[in-house]
Amino acid sequence: MSFAFKMGASALTLTVAATSAFAEIDEAWWKSAAEPYQGVTIRGVTESSPPSLYIREVLAPEFEALTGIRVDVETTSWDQMFDKAIKDMEAGTGIYDMAYIEQDIIYSYLSRDFLTDLTQFLADNPELNAPTYDEGNFTTFADYFKDDAGHLYGVPMEAFLKVYLYRTDLFNDPDIQAAFKSQTGRDLVPATTHEEYAEIAQFFTEYGEANDMDLWGTTAQAHTGHVASWYEYYESVAPTFGVYNWGIDADNNYAASVANGGEMNGPEAVEAMTWWLSMRDIAPPESPASTWTEVGTTFGAGRAAQGLVYGENAGWIAADESKSLVVGKVGVALPPLKDGILEEVEGGTGYIGYYDGGAFGMPHSSKNKEATALFLQYIGQNEVQPDWAVAAPRVTNTATYDDPKVQEMNAKLSGYYDLIKDKGYLFAGAPAYPFHAQVREATAPIFYQILLGDLGVQEGLDQMAAAAESTLTELGYRK
Amino acid sequence: MQSKRLGWILLAPTLVILFFFGVLPFIYVVYVSFHQWNPFAVNPEMVFNGADNFRQIVFDPAFLKSVGVTVMFVIFAVLSELILGYVLAQAFMRDFPGKAIFRTIHTLPLIMAPIIVGSVWKLMTTPSIGIIPHFLDEWFGITMNIGTSAPAAFATVVIMDIWHWTPLVTLTLIAALVSLPPDPFEQAQIDGANKRQIFWHITLPMIAPAVVATVFIRLMDALRTVDEVWMLTGGGPGSATRFVGVHIFKEVFPKTNYGYGSTISVIVLYLTIVACWLLYVTMLAPRSKKD
Repeated sequence: MSFAFKMGASALTLTVAATSAFAEIDEAWWKSAAEPYQGVTIRGVTESSPPSLYIREVLAPEFEALTGIRVDVETTSWDQMFDKAIKDMEAGTGIYDMAYIEQDIIYSYLSRDFLTDLTQFLADNPELNAPTYDEGNFTTFADYFKDDAGHLYGVPMEAFLKVYLYRTDLFNDPDIQAAFKSQTGRDLVPATTHEEYAEIAQFFTEYGEANDMDLWGTTAQAHTGHVASWYEYYESVAPTFGVYNWGIDADNNYAASVANGGEMNGPEAVEAMTWWLSMRDIAPPESPASTWTEVGTTFGAGRAAQGLVYGENAGWIAADESKSLVVGKVGVALPPLKDGILEEVEGGTGYIGYYDGGAFGMPHSSKNKEATALFLQYIGQNEVQPDWAVAAPRVTNTATYDDPKVQEMNAKLSGYYDLIKDKGYLFAGAPAYPFHAQVREATAPIFYQILLGDLGVQEGLDQMAAAAESTLTELGYRK
Repeated sequence: MQSKRLGWILLAPTLVILFFFGVLPFIYVVYVSFHQWNPFAVNPEMVFNGADNFRQIVFDPAFLKSVGVTVMFVIFAVLSELILGYVLAQAFMRDFPGKAIFRTIHTLPLIMAPIIVGSVWKLMTTPSIGIIPHFLDEWFGITMNIGTSAPAAFATVVIMDIWHWTPLVTLTLIAALVSLPPDPFEQAQIDGANKRQIFWHITLPMIAPAVVATVFIRLMDALRTVDEVWMLTGGGPGSATRFVGVHIFKEVFPKTNYGYGSTISVIVLYLTIVACWLLYVTMLAPRSKKD
C-alpha cells in the first residue's frame, strides 16, 4: 500500500467520520426541536415550478422523515396560487402555513400585513433557531423580502435572471458565420445592442425559411391575452431602452404619463415597444400564444436561434435531454442594450433586466407557526442548496456558487451561475409597488390592443399611461 | 298535518345548506356591490358608495364589450348545440351499425373537466405545433393563429364548447323523444301529414319543455364560462374572448377590485334571470295558457 494511498484513505475516513458526526449532531437537533410538533401537518401553496416541485418531492419528505412533521405542498398554476394564498390570508382562515411569495407581490403582502416577521419570530423563539440556518447565508436577493428594519419575511427559495440565450451550435457554425458575415459585414457573435440583435434575428429567420427549417431568429413572449407579454415588455425590454419601473415615477406623485413627469408613453417607451413588436413579427408563429413557459419550450425545441428566456427554464433547456433538443448547444449572455444603458446602470440608476424569484413566507393566519418556522429554516440551510440548484437552476445562498456540483452544472449552463454571481447586480426585481397587479390589469387590455395592431404604439402607450394614473388615483396612491 | 311536518323535516338539511352556501354568500355579494373595496388600495377598508358601482358599469366599455362577446358566444354555441344535439338524438333513435360505440364516444367529452378540455384544445390549436392549424394549412392553405386572429379565436372557443356540451343536449333530447307516445304520430301519418309538419306541430311542441330546460342549463352554463376559455385563450387575443366570467375573474382576483367585481356579478345574475324568464314566457307560458 503506497504512502499516498494510505494518506488518501485516512483523509477519507476522517472526512466521513467528521461528516457523520456533524450529521448526527445536526439530526439530533432537528429531532429534538421538532419533538413537540410531531404529527403536526403544515400546508403550503406554491407555483408548479421546478424549484417548488423539488421541495414537494425531495425536501418535504426528507424533513418529514427527520422530524415527524408532515409537510403538504400544493403546487398549482401561477394564477391559482395567488388566488388561493390571497383569499386565505385575507380571510385569515389559516389553511396555509406557508405561501409562495413572488418577488413582485411582496410589497402588496407587506402593505396588508399578511406575513409573519421571520427574523422577529426566531428571535422570540430561540429554541427554534436551527444551528445551520443563518439569514446571512442568503444572496442579496433576500433583500427584496426584508422590511426597512432589515427583518426577513420570506425564506428565498428561487432566484433567476431572465437572460439572453443563444444557440452556440448555430453561432459557431463556420458556414453560417460566413453567410452572416457576407450578408451583414460583421462577425456572428451574441448581440450587445438592439440593432445587432435585430440583425441576427432577421438573418436566422430568413436562414430557416431558405433552408426549410423550423428555425426563427428570436423568441417572443407575446401572448395576446396573458400578462406574460406585458411582463416581457416592462421587465425585459423597456429597461434595456432606459425605461425603468414601468415608466412610473413613484417620487413624483406616481406619474405615468410624460405630461405629468412619467415615462410610460415617452419616446424611449415607444422605441422599445416598436423594436419589440418588430422582433415579435419575425419570431416563431406560436409567439402570440406564448407565455414564459411556451418561450422555454420553443427554445428547447430548437425553434429559435436566440431569445430572452427565464432562468428557471435555462437549466432544462441546456441540460435535460429528455425535454430539450438543444442540450449542450446553449450560450448565455447579457441582454442587448441601448447605448449608454450599461454605464447608467453601473452608475446606480436603473437595471438591465429582471431578477426573478420568490420566497416562502409564513402568513399571520398560520396555525402551526413553530413547525413551519422549522421547515422554512430547513429549506434555507446551505446544506440542502447544491442538489436543489442542480435539480432546478436557482441560487439563493452565496455558498452554493462554490459547490462542485453547482460548478459542474454551471459549465453545462455555459456560465449561467457565474452570470448571476458576477452580473446579478445589474438586474432587478419588480418595483416596490403595493399596487402591482392592479396597475398591470388596468393597462394590460390596452397593451394587448397594441399587440394586435388595433392601437398604434404611441396611441396605446398614451392610453396605458392614462389608465395607470386613473387606477393609481382610484387606489389613493396618486393625489 | 303530520306529512307536512315530515316534509319540512326532510327538506331542512337541504334548506340549511342552501341558506349557508347559496343565500348568505349571495346577500354578501349584493352588500359588497354597494361598496368601494380594494384591499390593496391606500384605504383597504370597505367604503359604502351607494349605487356608484352600478352607475359606473353602464359606462364601462370593457364590461359592455364582454357582455356583447358573451351574448354572441351564447347565441352561436347554444343554438348550434341545440340543432346538432337534436339531429344526433334523432340519429340515435334509429338503429345503425356501431351505434353503441358511437354513442359512447360521442358522450365522452361530457366527462372531461372544462380545464382539461381547454388544455386539449390549446394543444390542438397552438400555431405551428397544433394538429388543427397544421391540417388547415396542409389541406386548405389556411393559416390559423388564435393568438393574432380574433375571429379564429372566437370561432375556436365556440367550436370547443359545441364539442364539449352537445352530448348533454343529445342525451336530454333522446330522453324526451323516447318518452313521446306513438299515437299522435300514427294519427298524423294517417291524416297525411308530412315529416316537416309532424316536426313543427307534434314533435317540437311535445318536447318543448325538455328543449327549454336544456336551453336553460346551457344558457346559464355558457354565461358563466371561464375555465375552458381561460386555458385556451386567456380571454384574448385582446378582448375577443373575454367573456363576462373571465372579465369578473380578472376584476375580482388579479385586480382585487372586490366591490366593482361584485357589482358586475350581481348584474350578470340579473341578466341571466331576465334571459331565462324571456325564454320561459316566449316558449312555455303560451303553451301553459292553452292547456
